[in-house]
Amino acid sequence: MSKDKLIFLAAVAALFALNFLSPSIDPYYYTIIIYIGINIILASSLNLINGYTGQFSLGHAGFMAIGAYMSAAVSTYFAPSFEGLMSMGAVGEAIVFVILLVIAGVAAAIAGILVGVPSLRLRGDYLAITTLGFAEIIRVIIQSLEVVGASQGFRGAYIFNNGMKAAQIPADMSEVPNTFFAVPKFTDFFWTYLFVAVIIFFIVNLMNSTYGRGFLAVKDDEVAAESMGVNSTKFKVIAFVSGAFFAGIAGSLYAHFNLYINPEDFNFLKSVEIVVMVILGGMGSLVGVVIAAVLLTILPELLRGVAEYRMIIYALLLIIMMLTRPQGLFGVKLRTRKNRT
Amino acid sequence: MNTLEINNCTMRFGGLTCVDKLNAFVGENELVGMIGPNGAGKTTVFNIITGVYNPTEGDVLFNGTSVVPLRAYQVAELGISRTFQNIRLFSSLSVRDNIRVSFVKSVKAGFFQSVFNVGKISDEEKYFDEKTDELLEIFGLSDVGDEYARSLPYGEQRKVEIIRALATSPKLLLLDEPAAGMNPTEKTELMSLIKMIKDKFGISILLIEHDMGVVMGVCERIFVLDYGKKIAEGIPDHIKNHPKVIEAYLGETHTDA
Repeated sequence: MSKDKLIFLAAVAALFALNFLSPSIDPYYYTIIIYIGINIILASSLNLINGYTGQFSLGHAGFMAIGAYMSAAVSTYFAPSFEGLMSMGAVGEAIVFVILLVIAGVAAAIAGILVGVPSLRLRGDYLAITTLGFAEIIRVIIQSLEVVGASQGFRGAYIFNNGMKAAQIPADMSEVPNTFFAVPKFTDFFWTYLFVAVIIFFIVNLMNSTYGRGFLAVKDDEVAAESMGVNSTKFKVIAFVSGAFFAGIAGSLYAHFNLYINPEDFNFLKSVEIVVMVILGGMGSLVGVVIAAVLLTILPELLRGVAEYRMIIYALLLIIMMLTRPQGLFGVKLRTRKNRT
Repeated sequence: MNTLEINNCTMRFGGLTCVDKLNAFVGENELVGMIGPNGAGKTTVFNIITGVYNPTEGDVLFNGTSVVPLRAYQVAELGISRTFQNIRLFSSLSVRDNIRVSFVKSVKAGFFQSVFNVGKISDEEKYFDEKTDELLEIFGLSDVGDEYARSLPYGEQRKVEIIRALATSPKLLLLDEPAAGMNPTEKTELMSLIKMIKDKFGISILLIEHDMGVVMGVCERIFVLDYGKKIAEGIPDHIKNHPKVIEAYLGETHTDA
């Protein structure tokens, strides 16, 4: 077995062992640790699109929303079908969660194709605006979907004895007996960081391969890339779809940790937050983006002490960062042409 | 059969005719030069051949297959590769990685094998590595392989562009002003390099060049464009003294003056 897979398996084993420590961690810190993991997945998956392939997407929260709602809705509305598996204990729960994660990822990936293929004819600012619009459309649609709680948010589903299902009890159904299925808690330290490991493994292998050079070439110069036989459309779509897939998984992890999701969790600000992580870490730098995701998740929490000045300080730090290191924490500054003669 | 045949090709942008009913060909393992004053439509011809533009009229055949309906990357897959007038190297990549981009089209492993790093992928990567080493060796750039391509001196950047084009294993190489910005020593070196490429790789070359020394020195046959029309064609000695060519470059001759 090659080295990369051994490291991956060792990491998974270590995560599994570390997971037993989680009950001893203060719930506040535990929540932050989980959010750090989810943000690493989100920022790294956006890095595939924005960083490595150079397509400026501003709608990552949209893909995350699709994953979160898909997974939450399936896990509650179809809860009776999962009961058999769930009663099998830890293994059964793991199977259910993997099914939900795959559903969330695939749903987001399909959305990635739908938004990706038509909008990849656009470049730069135009693509950014289109993807931003797409994410807002997703959010507005969810906001008006009664079946997932609309703007009230989604906690779980009522299944009535007459077979009806709804996110809230309608007035005329108040007499009918029902069972409430809450969004199940699946996400823990192990699952979150398992997918952190998966996306890191994914990016390292892909970007070190010759195949992965295609993404970088498209970012640098599309015309030259095409002239060297690189199908730029194909590479852009692959980047969009795999980025969306992991955003969907992050959404599912979020839903099954928070147990309550609201359309406002996936608004424009969330998309911007992810973009900021990528830019701050350095476009196309794996380590940089991971570190930025960690810092930007912790920072607002550290600043809780100064209450109302929190967001101002946060914003100021970002401005200072961009002035002093515009290429990001670990981004490569392109050396200007120097003559060695 | 000729490697490249341009049949009655016309390219219009709005009311401007850039290429006007052009007929030209490049034979197998032949080195052909295309010259003409600025704005004569030379680079447009390259863009038509490589699928960047679709000609308004006419056809371009490569080994008998029309390249007109193909997209740029498909033309490259077919075996036509090029360099650019204004160097277009991938600026965030090293010299080696610039060359590796040319192997992307021949990767058999595909997306999932690359991600999971399984199957024959390591053999394939090793083969690409060896090919890269070999090409760098031939062009004497072995020691700069890990430098950023854009940080090299101008002449070496031109060479990297040529290597990158050759790495796609083309049957026809299009060179767009390879001598631009080179000093006389580099130009002499370039001339022997072009001849070497033609012999060693056994490919056909179509060359755009303004430097008459280079064109006359290496080309077996030359055709001249002016305002999108072919005004002359022949061996270098014939072109040198062709009245229409002299007129295009220097203006009309007035015998009565």
